Amino acid sequence: MSEQPLPTQITADPAISDRIAEVADRWRDHEWELIRSTPLAPNMNLALDEVLTSAVGRGDRKPTLRFWGWDRRAVILGRFQSVKNEVNVEAAAAEGIEIVRRISGGGAMLVEPEGAITWSVYAPESLIRGLSFAESYAFFDAWAVLALRRLGLEAWYAGLNDITASGGKIGGAAQARRWNAVLHHVTMAYEMNGELLNRVLRVGKEKLSDKGIQSAAKRVGPLRQQTDMPREALIEHFITAFADQAPLAESTLTPEDIVAAEELIEKRFATEDWVNFLP
Amino acid sequence: MQGQFKTPGGKLVVVDFQVVEGMLRDVTVHGDFFLFPDDAFPALAAALEGTPAGLDSTHIADRVRRGLPAGAELVGASPEAIATAIQRGLAAAGDRA
Repeated sequence: MSEQPLPTQITADPAISDRIAEVADRWRDHEWELIRSTPLAPNMNLALDEVLTSAVGRGDRKPTLRFWGWDRRAVILGRFQSVKNEVNVEAAAAEGIEIVRRISGGGAMLVEPEGAITWSVYAPESLIRGLSFAESYAFFDAWAVLALRRLGLEAWYAGLNDITASGGKIGGAAQARRWNAVLHHVTMAYEMNGELLNRVLRVGKEKLSDKGIQSAAKRVGPLRQQTDMPREALIEHFITAFADQAPLAESTLTPEDIVAAEELIEKRFATEDWVNFLP
Repeated sequence: MQGQFKTPGGKLVVVDFQVVEGMLRDVTVHGDFFLFPDDAFPALAAALEGTPAGLDSTHIADRVRRGLPAGAELVGASPEAIATAIQRGLAAAGDRA
């Protein structure tokens, strides 16, 4: 499925591309809100995902698009990944890189404050009703693929949850579904320190077995390299692209959101039981 | 011992386990797959605990499928992928022995 689709399609799978086109109007069924990024601790970003997903599920918040900001470097593990299997723990400690675990599945990522563009979409489950998991991943990211194409990149959706282009993999998506809501978040590489990545993350041969390459760093084509645009300009470009497909109004985190997230950090995200859920 | 399998175009599953008196013990399943709902996760390892090491892949996959709660869905991986990871782990251990 890594072959390039036709320019009119999002993925190389025509059935998925057609299905997404059929339901594209659903984005307009909601008035969306935008939360712009401010630098936050890794665990605060993760806890806010839970707070905002449940708020949207309860109807206390409108469906929301939030851009993440990072105040430090971190490794963010997927829900079902083993710490030791994915991370060279000694190398991470020596670099002062925090290891945290998110509520969604998928793979580990290493982020540096200006090195990634990450956003979360918090939506009611009705947005993806009737779609398969594979269709829903591509549906949630179709606008971002089109935004990249508008910059002149030959971008497409590959495999289950990868955003890629002729210059290399750009990013990946992960979902969690709970509280009658869907969390769909995406991280794109903006700049990458391949040497640090290869030192801190362990990416085995088996994981790359269907990629035809030898290292995780080699398969990534960071956005700076592929677009030559400043990170902030890219974020604005994505915001504009989202606003083209659905009404989008400015919003902010409330003090209550932060308090709820702080409680979750203490109760879950900062605990050994959570981080070392799979040691 | 450990076995891994990446579903082509999908995700990686890794299974860590011991073989004690011919049966799989201390089974841990992990990887970058998705599982909905996520609280079905303990059922994966529980379904594999005590599996005879000589069981074929089809029957291992059946145990995983039956062990998952109704409505639970692995995404990017499958009971068959988990069975393949186990067979690979057993084969690698056999090669070392």
